[in-house]
Amino acid sequence: MSRRAGRLLPREKGAAPLDIVIGVMAFLAALALGASLVAERASAGWRAGLSDRLTVQILVPSQGDVTASLARETDTALAVLRATQGIAHAAPLSEQEMQNLVEPWLGRGALVAELPLPKLVDATIAPGARIDLVGLAARLKAAAPDAQLDDHGHWIARLKGLADTIVWSAYGILMLIAVATASIVAFATRAGLEAQHEMVQLLHQMGAHAGFIARAFERHYALAALGASAAGAAVAALLFLAAGGLEFAGVEAVPFLPPIALKLSEAALLAAVPAIATLIAWATARLSVLAAVREIY
Amino acid sequence: MVRFENVGMRYSSGPEVLRDVTFLLEAGSFTFLTGLSGAGKTTLLKLIYLAEPPSRGLITLFGNDMATARRVDFPAIRRRIGVVFQDFRLLPHLSAFDNVALPLRLAGRHEGEYEHDVEELLSWVGLGDRMNAKPATLSGGEQQRIAIARAVVARPDLLIADEPTGNVDPEIGARLIRLFGELNRLGTTILIATHDRALIESTKAREMRLVDGRLVELRTVRT
Repeated sequence: MSRRAGRLLPREKGAAPLDIVIGVMAFLAALALGASLVAERASAGWRAGLSDRLTVQILVPSQGDVTASLARETDTALAVLRATQGIAHAAPLSEQEMQNLVEPWLGRGALVAELPLPKLVDATIAPGARIDLVGLAARLKAAAPDAQLDDHGHWIARLKGLADTIVWSAYGILMLIAVATASIVAFATRAGLEAQHEMVQLLHQMGAHAGFIARAFERHYALAALGASAAGAAVAALLFLAAGGLEFAGVEAVPFLPPIALKLSEAALLAAVPAIATLIAWATARLSVLAAVREIY
Repeated sequence: MVRFENVGMRYSSGPEVLRDVTFLLEAGSFTFLTGLSGAGKTTLLKLIYLAEPPSRGLITLFGNDMATARRVDFPAIRRRIGVVFQDFRLLPHLSAFDNVALPLRLAGRHEGEYEHDVEELLSWVGLGDRMNAKPATLSGGEQQRIAIARAVVARPDLLIADEPTGNVDPEIGARLIRLFGELNRLGTTILIATHDRALIESTKAREMRLVDGRLVELRTVRT
């Protein structure tokens, strides 16, 4: 007759609250991790998009023939840019492109069309080229007094700062969740030890090593944490993937902000959440049991 | 095997339960421990199976002075002792088979190695057909036989039993005593705490009696 040795630790009745708390913790941890991935990707995208670009803005003069002045200074600025070594391409934005830029804020209509808008010249820096931006700004100012050079450095720094804040906040949240999960498992293990006090005493008196008793508990809580945290992380991953589906269907989550969807490869990274939750539960249960068994004679 | 020298025991700041207890259990001996309820029998057994430290005195087990022995060595010493608890202390969620096999699992043996031995032992104590039953479904006598089987399955060097025949009928009681006798012949030192005069009279074993926490030698081994 073949049989299988019974589990030393009985399945606990009323363990559902622990599973729920670990599941919710894993869900929140996966959201935080997902948010940090989105922020890092967006930050990298913004920086890549702006770091090789220059914009020259020709401001509307306060007096004189506005249209003629803008056209003249635009041509002058273009000439300066094209004469600068390292500028691969320089071209003014068309009226239509200017209207498109202001549309999200001012809308579209005859009134907007009549507004005196500055002229923008978009320039692309050749890959690997280094440009003396201070010198270029001075040359532009000398040739076209209403021209202003913007290398987007200010925006890049602010966007990077925002993304870094989001990423580090997410790490902070992950740390808090890890500490909370460890505390919950330690509490549950203590309660489990209390409930199984007689069994622990018996095994101890029969000559079980502390490690043998700890294994029964750590296996129990690690498996519970694995199941619950996998469920929580899976729900979060589904949410991120669903957000991708909505964006694909043309529903924008938040205007002007990057898509909150995760790629499939990024969603797979969320598997780290149940792995780490299981590790935390395993280690916490083991340390709690070893400490408790040490107190018995 | 077991040596007590001037051992005293009190729980917290209560009165002394055991006073100046001195005795020696030789290897391979068979001894009864008797005394009225509350005389300190269970406390004395607890000191031997290392459930409690003594308040004073010297205890030597298998040549180890327990006052100076390292705690890491305690599990190995405990595994040399089989204990039949008065309240059985079976694990309720494990089957009769798994309860009996527990000492072998603790010793790191694999199920395939001990399955036959455990089944044979359970059959010997009359529970061959209840191997998969949980303790709650068994009678007091059946539970007691499982507790005894668990205590002897690993062939301990020392067997301690607290009222081992209290819940079984005379026929099973006689069978269990034969089991203890057989183990003793194979070299196991046996110490049984009991009120059962018939059980004591059925053997020629030594009898130690506890009276108000002091040990009185009533009968030495008759040959």
